[in-house]
Parts: sequence; C-alpha cells; structure tokens
Amino acid sequence: MQPNKLLKPDLYFEGSNDREGATVRLKGGRCRCGYVFFPMQSYGCERCGSHGNALTLCELSANGTLLAEATVHLHADKNRPAPFTIVKVALDDGPVIRTLLADDSAPVAPGQRVTGRLAPVGQSESGETVLDLRFSIAS
Amino acid sequence: MTRSLNELRPVYVVGIGWHRYQNPSETPYVELGLTAIRSALADARIEWPAVESSYVATALLGMASGRPMLRHLGATGAPLMHVENASASGSTAFRHACIEVASGISDVALAVGVDKRNPVRRSDTGIGHLAEDAIVPFTHFALLTNEYAVRHNATAEDIALVAVKNHRNGAKNPNAQRQQERTLDEVLGGKRVSGSLTALQCTPIGEGAAAVIVASEDGIRRLGIDAGRAIRTTASVGRSERVYPPGTGFDAALTKETADLALAQAKLAPKDLDIIELHDAFTVEELHYIESIGLCPEGHGVRMLKDGALDIGGQCAINPSGGLIAMGHPIGPTGIGQIGEIVMQLRGEAGPRQHGGARTGLAHMVGVGAVCYVHILQK
Ligand SMILES: [Zn+2]
Repeated sequence: MQPNKLLKPDLYFEGSNDREGATVRLKGGRCRCGYVFFPMQSYGCERCGSHGNALTLCELSANGTLLAEATVHLHADKNRPAPFTIVKVALDDGPVIRTLLADDSAPVAPGQRVTGRLAPVGQSESGETVLDLRFSIAS
Repeated sequence: MTRSLNELRPVYVVGIGWHRYQNPSETPYVELGLTAIRSALADARIEWPAVESSYVATALLGMASGRPMLRHLGATGAPLMHVENASASGSTAFRHACIEVASGISDVALAVGVDKRNPVRRSDTGIGHLAEDAIVPFTHFALLTNEYAVRHNATAEDIALVAVKNHRNGAKNPNAQRQQERTLDEVLGGKRVSGSLTALQCTPIGEGAAAVIVASEDGIRRLGIDAGRAIRTTASVGRSERVYPPGTGFDAALTKETADLALAQAKLAPKDLDIIELHDAFTVEELHYIESIGLCPEGHGVRMLKDGALDIGGQCAINPSGGLIAMGHPIGPTGIGQIGEIVMQLRGEAGPRQHGGARTGLAHMVGVGAVCYVHILQK
C-alpha cells in the first residue's frame, strides 16, 4: 500500500486509527495567558501580544459542535468546483474553525456533533494518496 | 488629554456628489471621480481652489491613483492622501477629512471615493489556513445567515425581505446601480449563490464615485456657503476587531462597540436616529447591525422589518439610498456615498425617497480585516 501524504502538514497530523480510518489532530497554539488558537503561529498572541516562548504548540481534538453550514453554489476558482459545503465548527478545545464538509457526509445542521477526519482528495506525483481535513457528523 | 471629534471645532458637510454606481464599464476612473467631485463643488457652490486638502479612498485602483485624477481640476498644490481600508475606505477618508477640519489645520477638505472593479489582491500572512480560499465574503455571510435563522427561528423569506425593501428604495435613487423594485418571489427565485443567499440578496459588482466636501464655520463664512444646507458631523468613531468569546459574530460585536461609542459621543440614544445607512452587502447583515446598533433586542429585527418600521416613513429608515444591495458597493465610494445620502435626507432634498422630518442620521461601515467606522450627522 502506498503511504499517504498530508495536503497541509503545517495544520494537522495523523492520529491513531479508529474504525472509520485515520483520526486527525489539529496543530493549534496556546499562549501563557491561556488563549488557545488555531493554527499555531509564533508571530504573537492576538489576545495579549506575547510572543516567542510564550506561544507553544497545542494539539487540538477535531471534535466539535457545528455552528453553521453553507452550501456554496457559485465559486470562481476552477480548482474547487461548486457545489461544496463549508462548515463553521466550535472545537471542543476552544477555537472556532471553518473548513469543508466531507463530500460523502449526510446533511448537517447547527447544534450537531461533528468530527474532522482525513479524507483522500487526490494523488501526489509520486503516487501517494493525498489526504486533507474534512468534517462529517460524529459517529 | 485626548478629545473626540465633537469636542473640537464644529465640522459640516457642505457639498455632496456622485457618479452613478454602475456595472463595470470602459469609463476610466478619472472620469468617474471628476464627475463626483465637480458635482460636490457645484452643490457647495465653491470652486476647486477653495479645497485645502484631499482624501482619496480607493481599494482597487493600485498605487497613486489620486493625482492623475485631481490634476484635471487645476493643480493647486494642495496635499492629498490615499486611503485604503477595504469596504470602509470611504468612511475612513471622511473621518480624516473631518478631523483635519475640526482640528483647525484646514477650513475646507474633500473626501472622494472612486473605484473600478479590479481583482482584489491580498498579501500572504505566512500563516496557513484550512479552506479560507473557499470562503469568499458571500459564504462568510451565508454562514452567518444560517446561524441567525436557527438562533432566532427566522425563515429564508424573512431575511430576504431586507432585499425587497432595499431594492424598493434603490428604485427611487438615480445614483443607484440597481433601480428596479423586486418582489419577494423574484428575490428568492434568483440565482442561488451560497447557503440561502440569492443574487438579489448580495451587493452587485460595480464601479462609481462619491464625493463630499467638509468645512469649518470659518470656511463657510469666508466662502459664503449656505449655512442652512450645511449638516454637522457630531460623532466619528473608528474601531478594529478584538478577541471576542468563541462563537461570537465579530461583525456584530465590532459594530456594537463602535456604534455605542458614536452614540455616546453625540449624546444620543438609538431611538433618536431617523436614518441609518449601514453595510448591507448581504441581507442578514442589516438585521445583525440594527440589533447591534440597538434599534431593537437581538432577534427582533425581522419583526421591525415586517412592521414597516425600517421603511422610508417608518420609525427609522434603514438604507433609504437602497444600501449596498441596491445602490451598490464600488468599495472606495461606498462610505462617502452613505454620508451624501444622509446629508440629502437631513436637508430634505431626497425627493421621492425623503424620510419626513429626518434630523439625525448614522452611517456605518465594516471592512474586511475587520474594521468598523460609524459617523453621526445632525441637522
Ligand atoms: Zn496571550
């Protein structure tokens, strides 16, 4: 079996497998003031301005609660043909993120529990399966 | 000690003008801008050399677009600066023109907004993102529409009524890009864009120009300007986004804190407002912002809309110009055009879309980033 390649390894990494496939952990950050953010960055904390050693990598669970969804019917970028669905998720670990709903997900509605997984989105030039984060209803 | 605008010397809007907002065309921006400026000069009944300073608001024209336009008015050597602040570029230019006059550095200043719909280019911050490339503004607001609808039990029809009202207002505005009344069925039946948003619930892509001239009492006297048509700016506040509790809509939270400061500066309550021009690029925004400004409790916006309280002639006319949905949103001009509309209304010169007895108006813009600007004008 060909190894997998992550589309955005700066933002997430592969966790242990479960029944539905590879789970994913997000690369967030935590400031010494307690503020938790996504994605990790070292420029400085948006809440207090601390930087450098004050900011450390903080793994975030990809489980959360759906705040909103929108199916996009028109999109100018030919690399991402519509329709696709964007979800806004309040992660259990704090930050609110916005990303894509899995193509094979059942329809979602605000208030539902959702979880992020790594889904195949294409092939790399060297034949690896490229994986990216997608959300779907938590099983 | 710092001071707010209304603690400095009084500043008045004395001239307003537009080039109609329109679909993208071959007309050069220079012609759009000059049309608006000359019409504002004519409205003030002053000549160009009286203008001591110019603020040129533009987001999409690129570097140094002002001087190639202004030189055709006669090169007086007066200072000019360019203001880019996303959708709030025009509002920001107006604020700084007011501050310059209120401070006493100039007696007469111009704020002009002009734009053509060139591609938006934003620099890479160096921080990765999951799918922000797939979340253009209409999808940001489609997500907020979904949240608002669920939280407040509002239907897609309820929210689309904002567009019906604003198209009705725009149909009476000769400077509006869209000048056609639309039924609820037309609004809902149009092209689907994102979530429940349809094309007629979204601001159109367009171009245009708007200009306002501001002056001090000294300037008004010296130039013989009709003081009876001058409208005072009684509050000016600019803010940028802070960190809000997770899940809080930053557009609404930022609007609330900015509007609260502006109302306090002018010593007014939300119920004192006769006219509001606000950033309704997408229908749901109007409901969010009237609630943030304090016209009604959160979730009660639809009731006011259905009661006609937000119509011209209602309790508080929201977007009598047609707003961004019908008048249009050429970016640089938009915030300045809002000021022009309020001035026209407070003078009682708004013709078929006149809101009777209007004495107090508030202009609100948000810009991606996010920034928020609020001005209050009073007769
Ligand atoms: Zn911090």
